Amino acid sequence: MALLTPAITPADDVRPAGPPPRKHRPVARTRNKVLLHVALMLGAVTMIIPFVWMIFTSVKSPAELAQYPPTFFPQEWHWSNYADALDAAPFGLYFRNSFIIATGHTLITLVVGSMAGYALARIRFRGREIVFLTLVAMLMIPTYTKIVPQFLIVKFMPLFGGNDILGQGGTGWLNTWWALIIPGGLSATSIFLFRQFYLSLPKELEEAARLDGLGEFRIFLQIYTPLIKPAIATVGLLTFQESWNNFLWPLLVTTTENLRVIQVGLAVFQQLDNTSWHYLMAGTTLATVPMVVLFVAAQKYFIQGFTSSGIK
Amino acid sequence: MSRTETPAGPTQVLPAPVRPPKRTHSPAERKLRRSGWLMVLPALLHIGLWTAIPVVATFALGFTDYNVFSPPRWIGLDNYVEIVQDPVFRKATWNTIQYTFWTVPVSMFIALVIAVALNQGLRLQKWYRTAFFLPQVTATVAIAMVWLWIFNPQQGLLNAFLGVFGIPGQAWLADPDWALWSVILVGAWQGIGIKMLIYIAALQNVDESLYEAASVDGASTVRKFFAITVPMLKPATFFVLVISIINAFQVFDQIYVLTDGGPANATTMMTYEVYRSAFEEFRMGMASAQSVVLFFFLLFMTLVGRRATREDS
Repeated sequence: MALLTPAITPADDVRPAGPPPRKHRPVARTRNKVLLHVALMLGAVTMIIPFVWMIFTSVKSPAELAQYPPTFFPQEWHWSNYADALDAAPFGLYFRNSFIIATGHTLITLVVGSMAGYALARIRFRGREIVFLTLVAMLMIPTYTKIVPQFLIVKFMPLFGGNDILGQGGTGWLNTWWALIIPGGLSATSIFLFRQFYLSLPKELEEAARLDGLGEFRIFLQIYTPLIKPAIATVGLLTFQESWNNFLWPLLVTTTENLRVIQVGLAVFQQLDNTSWHYLMAGTTLATVPMVVLFVAAQKYFIQGFTSSGIK
Repeated sequence: MSRTETPAGPTQVLPAPVRPPKRTHSPAERKLRRSGWLMVLPALLHIGLWTAIPVVATFALGFTDYNVFSPPRWIGLDNYVEIVQDPVFRKATWNTIQYTFWTVPVSMFIALVIAVALNQGLRLQKWYRTAFFLPQVTATVAIAMVWLWIFNPQQGLLNAFLGVFGIPGQAWLADPDWALWSVILVGAWQGIGIKMLIYIAALQNVDESLYEAASVDGASTVRKFFAITVPMLKPATFFVLVISIINAFQVFDQIYVLTDGGPANATTMMTYEVYRSAFEEFRMGMASAQSVVLFFFLLFMTLVGRRATREDS
């Protein structure tokens, strides 16, 4: 949160390394650069400190956590806290559940979303414009304007969870993998992104392929899709990340522990035991690290995705 | 929402530039159109069932009294009347507006300044960018847990840090005067990355020669910022504004973790009231009506934002 003002002051106490300046301007410029670095460094540290504090806390002993004033660096590094945290709450199970769901969402999005995006971009069919406009309208719908009926659809899903054909009598999809994987499996945003990517490709390819008598599905799969591999990575990573970080939906549709995802697991753990901060921070680290690693490793794709969709 | 008919027979294909508008279709073309529908159908069914129907249903349920166990009862505008008279929902609305104000326009300005700084070709700039963006990719719940611990009055980092400068600590989240600010701090901290990123992308399209010309005319850095950068970034600003408002209005996860809406409703938000009505009180009709109000607020804010950023360009 550093407000930077690259001020141009006549003071001359910063001696830049490198060749001696000939004029006044380069000195001022170097000084500005130093100031800019200091300001940016402060801002960057503000962003990073909570993560560092999280990891430091996760390895401290309960005795150290109780100290006043609190320590910043751990006096001793108790990495065994992680093993103990896994005993205190099934974070491993939560982690696995989150992973399964995020993978499921990503696969559904990549298959169904890319297919629809392709059709909307490259095939002329009657009603395409209406389908596309509907999609654009759906892009703007906030989560909270659909969450109640979504929950009701899950609850009254016919012929599941003891429900009859009218959806009465049972619990439907509540507390099932279906509820965790299907409704969140696809978003209008991802279809929209795929359409944009397929639109950016040249038209000659499809015309040539159609003249050669290739089926539409093969054109989609073998000609166009290999050309948008970066886009697939982008949408896939964003979907995975959003799904991994999702909290509200799994909170609403599951109550059993063996279907709990890591974000909900953290919240439940904190509500049940609000003193074991070392375990909680160990769990939080487990919930955070995969996304940080994924982001740092695939930054290019994330950035492309975020700048073109702005989703979170 | 799901139209499954396969178009057969002659049709006026929409704006078709190449082909003549009307003719009998070859089997190949009919097949093509059928594959178009087949490929879009699964997505259409999904969006129809999980987005389109729910939106319509939300509006309809807003006029009912419905507790899941007995069938919905039509009560007209009663829910809306109650919302208008409900001091808690009014408080939630005001909190949401305050939260949005500080985490959107104010954060946008900070993000813009950072983006400009990161656009100077500095060494390490990639590292800075990663640092600023990191909070955005991590889960809000996990991040809120860390902040819950940072805000801890006795063992937390924030009070310890302030103590170094002799500033007395606060009971951040438990103090009605500070709780909302604490939540805003977390929201701003997490949301700056995405705003910065979009600005960085937009800055790359600003014509360098404008700055050069301004330098020749002797314009200061600050002057150039307000006279060139800000106006040139209007389209990006509109984009950032809209998505940020939509995100800010839907703040939920950090409220759930940090304050549970308290103390004394000091940090409850519109979304939180929707959640409470629906899943704690099982008043599905009321929750739907509240989310309709949220929806119109969002629409209104988006339109205002559009005006503010598009007016004189």
